Amino acid sequence: MTAQTTHNTAEERPAASGDTLLAADSLVKHFPIHKGFLRRTVGQVKAVDGVSFEIRRGETVGLVGESGCGKSTVARMVTRLIEPTSGSITFGGADLVGMPRSELKDFRRKIQMVFQDPFSSLNPRMRIVDSLGEPLVAHGLSKGQSKVDRVCELLELVGLSAKDRNKYPHQFSGGQAQRIGIARALATDPDLIVCDEAVSSLDVSVQAQVLNLLRRLQGELGLSYLFIAHDLNVVRYISDRVYVMYLGRMVERGAAEGIMAEPQHPYTEALIGAIATPSGEGEERRIRAVANGAVPSPSNPPSGCHFHTRCPFVMDRCRSEVPPLYELSEGRASACFLREKEAVS
Amino acid sequence: MTDISTAPGLAEDATTTTTTAADGARKPQKQRKEGRTVGRFIRTQPLGAIALLLIAIFVVAAVFAPLIAPFSPTEQFRAHFSDAPGGDFIMGTDHLGRDIFSRILYGARTSLIVSVVTVVVAGTIGTVLGTISGFFGGRWVDTVFQRIMDTLMAIPGLVLLLFIAALLGASVRNTIIALSLLVIPAFNRVARGEMLRIREEPYVEAAKVNGCSTLRILVKHGLPNQAAPLMVIASLMFAIVIIAEASLSFLGIGTPPPTASWGLMLSDGRQYMETAPWMVVYPGAVLTVAVLAFNLLGDALRDFLDPKRSR
Amino acid sequence: MAAYAARRALYGILVIFLVAVFVFFALRAVPGDVVRIQLADSPGVTEADIAKRTAELGLDRPLFTQLFSFLGNAFVGDFGRSFQDNQSVMSLIGERLPITLELGIMALLIGLLVGVPIGLISSLRPNGILDQVLRVFSVAGLSVPNFWLGLMLITYIALIFGWSPPINYQGPTQDLGANFAQMILPAIALGGAVMASIARMLRSSLLEVMQSNYVRTVRARGASRSSVLLKHATRNSMVPVFTVMGLQVGAILGGTVILEKIFSIPGMGSLIFESVQMRDYPVILGSVIVYGAVFVFVNILVDLMYGVIDPRVRFK
Repeated sequence: MTAQTTHNTAEERPAASGDTLLAADSLVKHFPIHKGFLRRTVGQVKAVDGVSFEIRRGETVGLVGESGCGKSTVARMVTRLIEPTSGSITFGGADLVGMPRSELKDFRRKIQMVFQDPFSSLNPRMRIVDSLGEPLVAHGLSKGQSKVDRVCELLELVGLSAKDRNKYPHQFSGGQAQRIGIARALATDPDLIVCDEAVSSLDVSVQAQVLNLLRRLQGELGLSYLFIAHDLNVVRYISDRVYVMYLGRMVERGAAEGIMAEPQHPYTEALIGAIATPSGEGEERRIRAVANGAVPSPSNPPSGCHFHTRCPFVMDRCRSEVPPLYELSEGRASACFLREKEAVS
Repeated sequence: MTDISTAPGLAEDATTTTTTAADGARKPQKQRKEGRTVGRFIRTQPLGAIALLLIAIFVVAAVFAPLIAPFSPTEQFRAHFSDAPGGDFIMGTDHLGRDIFSRILYGARTSLIVSVVTVVVAGTIGTVLGTISGFFGGRWVDTVFQRIMDTLMAIPGLVLLLFIAALLGASVRNTIIALSLLVIPAFNRVARGEMLRIREEPYVEAAKVNGCSTLRILVKHGLPNQAAPLMVIASLMFAIVIIAEASLSFLGIGTPPPTASWGLMLSDGRQYMETAPWMVVYPGAVLTVAVLAFNLLGDALRDFLDPKRSR
Repeated sequence: MAAYAARRALYGILVIFLVAVFVFFALRAVPGDVVRIQLADSPGVTEADIAKRTAELGLDRPLFTQLFSFLGNAFVGDFGRSFQDNQSVMSLIGERLPITLELGIMALLIGLLVGVPIGLISSLRPNGILDQVLRVFSVAGLSVPNFWLGLMLITYIALIFGWSPPINYQGPTQDLGANFAQMILPAIALGGAVMASIARMLRSSLLEVMQSNYVRTVRARGASRSSVLLKHATRNSMVPVFTVMGLQVGAILGGTVILEKIFSIPGMGSLIFESVQMRDYPVILGSVIVYGAVFVFVNILVDLMYGVIDPRVRFK
């Protein structure tokens, strides 16, 4: 990641076309906690607590945060593997949240997902031709020989050999298997692909290859990505815009470059600060526990601003009031009282 | 080398054949996780191999009984009541002058028919119910099914069999029905347990995202991944069913005479144990060996198919 | 823990209740009128007699009324009266159950006493000659039909020692020697499978514990294999053994049916068998329910014990 990290300059990236592909509004997801004799619900884990974002056609939106911040839950809500407790997800003019299953199937063609571990997200007992062909068959798009042809096409598209189509997942390396996962996501010609920690389980050198593949595909096929990760460097490399999450809430938003260069929220600063400086050549950059203690549990989050227990700039206000997401100039936003005065709207 | 690669879950080696044919050269073995073929099974699980052999003998004896048996199982030789083993009657005769060896062969038929029908039919039903139950774990479908299964499992096996046999009467068909009530919960439990595990697997999530219907997920992802434990439980169920059928016949509420059944032979021979012990020793021994074979096979399969257990 | 115990016990009661319902409906699903079957043997039976008996037994009432009254009575232990001798079913069961329980407990003890040492010895030198032999012996023990083992025991002990168990039952309070003499052989026959299961489970459990980091640390400090085995590993390994015993109780309870017949022991097994032959439905119902209740109770105990040993289970 070190030598190959380049900055996303405007010339290198295809311009986002501007119209909104997917808009999530005030998404909330609570998981009940059962305890006691009759398994009564004694509390809620507020995994996602009012999150809004939008993804425009052709752009890559990064969603970054530590484990437990709810980003995976967001991914599962967007693909409707989980039902939001409340909120809406608008895609192509329709709200996905209340949608009955019969209509939902169409949208599954348009929104796809790449998972973190390719070896467990590909059925180990199925040949990859069948795994790749599954979305095609499930949607009635092709079968038999035409399915095999399409699978060969997809394999070539991600840089693998079509000859390998009859192999099993474990016969591939990590990077190759993840390419297969990507190929599968491309099968139905989607508009949006959610990448849930798609490179997190790969070796560093392989990560770069896969990220470059994703970028190339975006250019060739006009895809949009929701890229979810905990590694800020990876997110910066591939995203146009970035959202930062902490304990179920959105705390900052902005263009990828701007966020790294000038963070507008103490948490983002802490994340950046925790990354090793370039003298650590070749080492993986991991976000360690942030200064001032460990992450609180999502089942019992702090009052007011969730971050106040660890924030070096904490004020009295922060303990009792929840800071709204202030809109700042140049499309930036931050949920911190420190930015109140610069708020545009 | 023969391989059972057509069985779900055991197909890893099939790719070797494909790539070998394509490249004309052998691919290195080290790439494969485990080669699960019959040949390997025989090499690593000697007891299992012996078990397979015994079972093969059992099946052959049962299927070809009419060809192998020297006499009819029901023909009574009035001059030879309770003959000791020897001469024409290698295992002796019973109190009605019937050849014990022939009756044992035909008894194998009864055991085989009953056990195969029961395990296949009840096993399928139990697996389907368990798969559905496990996939919807926690919802009302699962709860209802599980209550029913728990109720059946709460009654000790033979007692339940006795009860059902009492209600329905003694016949081979009723024995199969009664035994099914024992076998279905066992398969259900295994299938459900596996399904509860499988549904958390990422590839099931991926299938959902890909638009697979629930049915498709159950059939294409659920069942094949259950193959290993199902094979183990099937083997053990054969053992249990064979003993259960013999027990019921022994008590007189299973296979009705004069059909040959090992259990019936034991019950006949009971009174003559001191004068004609061969009437009891041979059927009992054969019964033990048959059950032993299936138990050994089940053990060997369990060890072979689970890479973690290397004892 | 208390919440877990209460939940478990409540569930057990639900299952017993469901067993009773199941048994009730299964009986009603039988083709053929209970009364006709019962009275068919007696000469000179008229329609009026049949009607009278039907009313007596309450079989002319609507089905659900019968169900509720059956359940209500069952709850207080009233299962009606035997068709044969009009004795109260509950008192019959009360006479017979302790005998069967005695047999079952003896079988369990034998299984434990023989199975545990075998399991221990087996794991001293895993895969050694002794271990292999014992393992085959265990599998054989599981496979031998218990009734055949019982028959063989009678015959060959008689042949070799010239001794047979007594036929007439005497309770332990009347004549302990005779009681023991009569019960020991069937207990051994029943205990065979228990012994085998325990030996196998203990062996596999011990081997797993011996591989654990905890044990390896102790051994690194110089403890010998056998002392570690006895002191540390055994206690942890006994837990799955108890689970296996719980499962075996089901097999034992079933086995009592045949073995009591062979050895002429007047326990629940003989009772249910005779009543099945005689179509004595009240007794059949009561016996099945009682068998189920005993098994459920044992399973609850096993689960509770598991809950004590392994705290994770309580919070499932």
